[in-house]
Amino acid sequence: MKYYLGLVWEYFLNYAKTRLTYRADFWVEVISDLLFQATNLIFIFVVFAHTDTLGGFTEAEVVFVYGYFMIPYGLYSCFVNLWNFGDRYIVKGEMDRILTRPAHNLFQIFLENLDPPSLIGSFIGVIIMFWSGGQLGIELLWWHIPALIVMVLGSTLIYTGIYTILTSISFYSDSPTGIIPLMYNIQTYGRYPITIYNRIIQILLTWILPFAFVGIYPAALFLDRPEMIRMAWITPVMGIVFFTLGLLFWNGGIKRYRGAGS
Amino acid sequence: MQAIEVQDLRKTFQIQKSRGGLTGALKDLFARQYNEVAAVNDITFSIPQGEICGYIGENGAGKSTTIKMLTGILVPTSGQIKVNGYVPYQEREKFVQGIGVVFGQRSQLWWDIGVIESFQLLRKVYQVSEADYKKRLDELVERLQLQDLLSRPVRKLSLGQRMRCELVAALLHNPSIIFLDEPTIGLDIVVKSEIREFLKDLNRTQGTTILLTTHDLQDIEALCSRVIMLDAGNVIYDGGLDDLKTRWGKGKEVRFQFGKAVTASQLQAWTASLPVQWTQEGELVATALVTADTAVSDVLTAVLSQVEILDIQISETSTDEIVRQIYSSGSAEKPEVKIHV
Repeated sequence: MKYYLGLVWEYFLNYAKTRLTYRADFWVEVISDLLFQATNLIFIFVVFAHTDTLGGFTEAEVVFVYGYFMIPYGLYSCFVNLWNFGDRYIVKGEMDRILTRPAHNLFQIFLENLDPPSLIGSFIGVIIMFWSGGQLGIELLWWHIPALIVMVLGSTLIYTGIYTILTSISFYSDSPTGIIPLMYNIQTYGRYPITIYNRIIQILLTWILPFAFVGIYPAALFLDRPEMIRMAWITPVMGIVFFTLGLLFWNGGIKRYRGAGS
Repeated sequence: MQAIEVQDLRKTFQIQKSRGGLTGALKDLFARQYNEVAAVNDITFSIPQGEICGYIGENGAGKSTTIKMLTGILVPTSGQIKVNGYVPYQEREKFVQGIGVVFGQRSQLWWDIGVIESFQLLRKVYQVSEADYKKRLDELVERLQLQDLLSRPVRKLSLGQRMRCELVAALLHNPSIIFLDEPTIGLDIVVKSEIREFLKDLNRTQGTTILLTTHDLQDIEALCSRVIMLDAGNVIYDGGLDDLKTRWGKGKEVRFQFGKAVTASQLQAWTASLPVQWTQEGELVATALVTADTAVSDVLTAVLSQVEILDIQISETSTDEIVRQIYSSGSAEKPEVKIHV
């Protein structure tokens, strides 16, 4: 464990060394990231210009949920960046190099694709939570902080698990599939009160692609929504389950890796 | 102890068959047809510790696939592998700690950061202690003369410089076996011979087992006591390089330039007691083909005593020539030898 944490630090330092030389690039990335998040928030404001509540949630509450979502999402984007996996590691065969080094291969890929600017999104998420929480008159209790940490970790693991499973499809199919962009669309559903969807989508978002655990469920714990509190506490369990599934799929996929070229 | 043991190793790939034309492509979309291709076909060999072994074969013969199975990158379809006491693909993380890998066509180094920083990162990945790392790096840098390159980013290095850095990167954790896949590809003669010398030294001083694939037979001649030759996934030769040469070599050719005209029958008569075959290129020039077990000096003595000689050239069938013949015949069985007396 200490070994892996040490590696995160080393890779982070290297990231800093290479990236700080391209300062403009760094800020462009940060700003475009934030603009993307801002458009999502604006969408929420537009919706609430037409209605007072959404599935029983007020505007401030939905913004609070969005703030929560930004925290695990930022962590996920920073540490688990599998966007270009198929192209870079399978098609170009860089997986060869990864597999000849003594650290878990999935972890090495996470490290090589660290994206620290995404963490800024997490910070802004915290700010949004405090701001909208203040508007809602939520009192900060002592257990909120450890609970938030546990929930965020659970949510991040769920994301990691889902995308690891989806990415390991690259080992089975020759060409990268269009499934990841589709997922990026579905994941946004988890940020809204789940009760607004029909039954099938609710089940999908809870048990199959559990994006509701990266948004509405854990956030409901802090909003004191009794109907979702039980679901909220399942978040860390789902995190562990999906992360384990992700690893299993991945380790199965690795056995089928065929290498590229000579 | 055996450093590498391989038994009945096989790797098959499924290759999709593409049907021609648009209708073919549509059919492929719904019902794909696959061909099973055996890239490595039940091969068996073992390499003792401390040996330098050359692994040669034409493109697509299965060399890289074997190396990838030996290094744990690919999982074999069937058969047993044991390298350094491990089954490579099973305990990959522990196993790779004891091997070094250099792929000539792929870099182990980080493109954007300085060479020394890549080494530092590798030190952390391989958990080499600071003291060991320093000692080893100093030795290697000294030996390969990398002092001036260490602070440069990898992308600014020439291929030869990069290759030497790759060697260091693969050796920092002091592996007992190193795998080199075409380590000298694209390099100039000077760097090539530097790398060969370095590998030879490494083998001699540290007893490192080396398995290398190459298309450059001079690598093999300079380094390897043993050659494994592969064709279409099968081992067609496994043994010493000298053996290969004696088995396949046609002996030596001695080309004479005489001071005065000689006839074919004269030549035959002078060397009647020796197994020599003459071919004449005019009156003043003739070539004697001397079988491998005959001393060239005997032929020379026999001819020198009879006629004035202006020039002599002695040449041996080159390894290149031998290997080309084997590749084109697809078998290392000894060809029929015609003996002319």
